[in-house]
Amino acid sequence: MPDLIRFQNLSKVYGSGNTEVKALWQVSMAIAPGEYCSIMGPSGSGKSTAMNMIGCLDRPSSGEYFFDGQDVGQLGEADLALIRNRKIGFVFQQFHLLPQLTALDNVSLPMVYAGISSAVRNERAAEALTQVGLGQRLHNRPNQLSGGQQQRVAIARAIVNQPLLILADEPTGALDTQTTKDVMAIFEQLNAEGITVVMVTHEPEVAQLTHRVIWFRDGQVLNDHMSPEDMRQTAFFT
Amino acid sequence: MDFTESFKMAAKTLAANKLRSSLTMLGIIIGNASVIAMVGLGEGAQQFINGQLQSLGPNVLFIIPGSRETRELGGLEVPRNLVVADAEAIATQVPSVKAVAPENSTQGVVSYRNRNTNSTIVGTTEDFLTVRSFEVEKGRFLTPLDQRRNSLVVVLGNQLAERLFEGEAALGKQVRIRGITFDVVGVLEQKGSSLGLNYDDSVMIPITTLASRIVGRTSPYGIEVSFISVSANSQESMDTAEFQITNLLRLRHGGDDFFINSQDTLLEIADTVTGALTLMLAAIASISLVVGGIGIMNIMLVSVRERTQEIGLRKAIGASQQDILVQFLIEAIILSALGGLIGTALGASSILVISVLSPFEAGVSTSAVLVAVGVSGGIGLFFGVVPARQAARLDPIVALRSA
Ligand SMILES: Nc1ncnc2c1ncn2[C@@H]1O[C@H](COP(=O)(O)OP(=O)(O)OP(=O)(O)O)[C@@H](O)[C@H]1O
Ligand SMILES: [Mg+2]
Repeated sequence: MPDLIRFQNLSKVYGSGNTEVKALWQVSMAIAPGEYCSIMGPSGSGKSTAMNMIGCLDRPSSGEYFFDGQDVGQLGEADLALIRNRKIGFVFQQFHLLPQLTALDNVSLPMVYAGISSAVRNERAAEALTQVGLGQRLHNRPNQLSGGQQQRVAIARAIVNQPLLILADEPTGALDTQTTKDVMAIFEQLNAEGITVVMVTHEPEVAQLTHRVIWFRDGQVLNDHMSPEDMRQTAFFT
Repeated sequence: MDFTESFKMAAKTLAANKLRSSLTMLGIIIGNASVIAMVGLGEGAQQFINGQLQSLGPNVLFIIPGSRETRELGGLEVPRNLVVADAEAIATQVPSVKAVAPENSTQGVVSYRNRNTNSTIVGTTEDFLTVRSFEVEKGRFLTPLDQRRNSLVVVLGNQLAERLFEGEAALGKQVRIRGITFDVVGVLEQKGSSLGLNYDDSVMIPITTLASRIVGRTSPYGIEVSFISVSANSQESMDTAEFQITNLLRLRHGGDDFFINSQDTLLEIADTVTGALTLMLAAIASISLVVGGIGIMNIMLVSVRERTQEIGLRKAIGASQQDILVQFLIEAIILSALGGLIGTALGASSILVISVLSPFEAGVSTSAVLVAVGVSGGIGLFFGVVPARQAARLDPIVALRSA
């Protein structure tokens, strides 16, 4: 099976001269469709930069990034927006729900940009919310929901356009232990249905639940395919 | 994303922040209200003046004393007065003229028994009826005999007769004008005001009587008149009449010390003046529209900064730069067009009030409304572009990190 995500000698450099930062430096790696993996590493190691790259929010400074067979570096802004809309779902640490919209409308938003009619939108948004266990809270606004519930709304929003990939940057960073478990169960479930899931996390317990851990350090992949069992001994990396 | 979705989204966002939205619209509302009110007022004034001028009649020429030179000298040199003899000369020597009515007037108290009223005392001749198209309601008007004899007879304006006699028959009674007793021989039909002159409130006496008994002789050349109105044989003979009168008076006076105006030239002058007035009022009011537009831009810029995260999120879930641009542009246009509509309604209602309270038939012209709303929308578009582009160009990564 061809790779869903492939970095080839990819670098991302911010600034120039004295202030130059090599956020990613000559990274090569690949993730296949259906994988469930996490990215770990110290603060500033380039994890979020890699996620933004994977999510087509950014373009490489040099090297190539292929997503679903397409060379992202060659695509225009509108094409990238289209890929983000149809093939990728984002989940953020801070949820990023729009406060003036209900849960249903928040989840509908990606379908608005996909040009789906409002009747279909409402039906599918309600379905997605039911899938994450919020079938009873369709018409609540974010400030009427707990952190865990808000993150589940965000996950519903990420899956509603049936993406190939879910990208989650520290999705459990703002959640307590119990809600973290609930949210991770949802990711596991989605992965079981065939969606590729990639997440950044600082918590070994969270990474342990995924099937593959990619370690970053100083903008480079330090270690890939480390078995979750080895995690505890290498915790000093974080 | 299609337009209706963008529109709904923009409307929802604006509705979620009602106070700010209405405050943002305020500038545009005020701008539009003032444009509509000002233009309506200007047009009302124009109509009012036109109406007044048109009541003069199409065949009438006005001859008034004064010359360009003396005007330019600041009135230092007093122009030679027009006199009754000038009017008589026109009547006898200009063939294209049907009737000639010299007029002079002064203010004075008119009394009947113990009732007094201040009124305009107009001295004129029998031709007044023809030239100014008046009718006598009761009795008769002044006659040539009255002029020759300096008779103490008076024809009352309709309202004045009403006020002075309070329903009593006026005909055959005697009134005192400046203490002199006059016989009432007629009452004029009611006509309303024209050019600020309201003959309904005046008394008419022979111009010779006015000169000999009331104002006295004020000119070495004869009986002074303040203007002469002339009615030409037909509308076609207006130009001929004007030419012939000009020649005659030049000969008699030895120079151009008079003006001849027709209803058309007066209309033209009035149109130029009121048109300029309307334009000036509209221009002043438009400034507030532009200020309103800048207000929208200002608030939109703040809004873009505040909604950085929202913009980043929208981009992350698939909004293109164009989607964001359109959304913010529509928000700006809704604000300004809606503000324009509200302002127009406000301006229109204020005009309604004005037309009730004043003689101006001030109206709201559809063209003014269309222009105001269109211009407001355009202003929204124009001043919305800068904030909308700023929003569209936000880097989603930076935007999302700005928590
Ligand atoms: N827009 C930017 N301009 C300049 N430098 C940047 C920018 N974005 C990231 N960097 C730098 O790139 C490096 C990698 O940042 P990145 O956000 O990817 O780290 P991270 O691994 O996600 O860290 P954390 O665990 O704290 O989230 C850091 O040194 C950061 O300061
Ligand atoms: Mg990060």
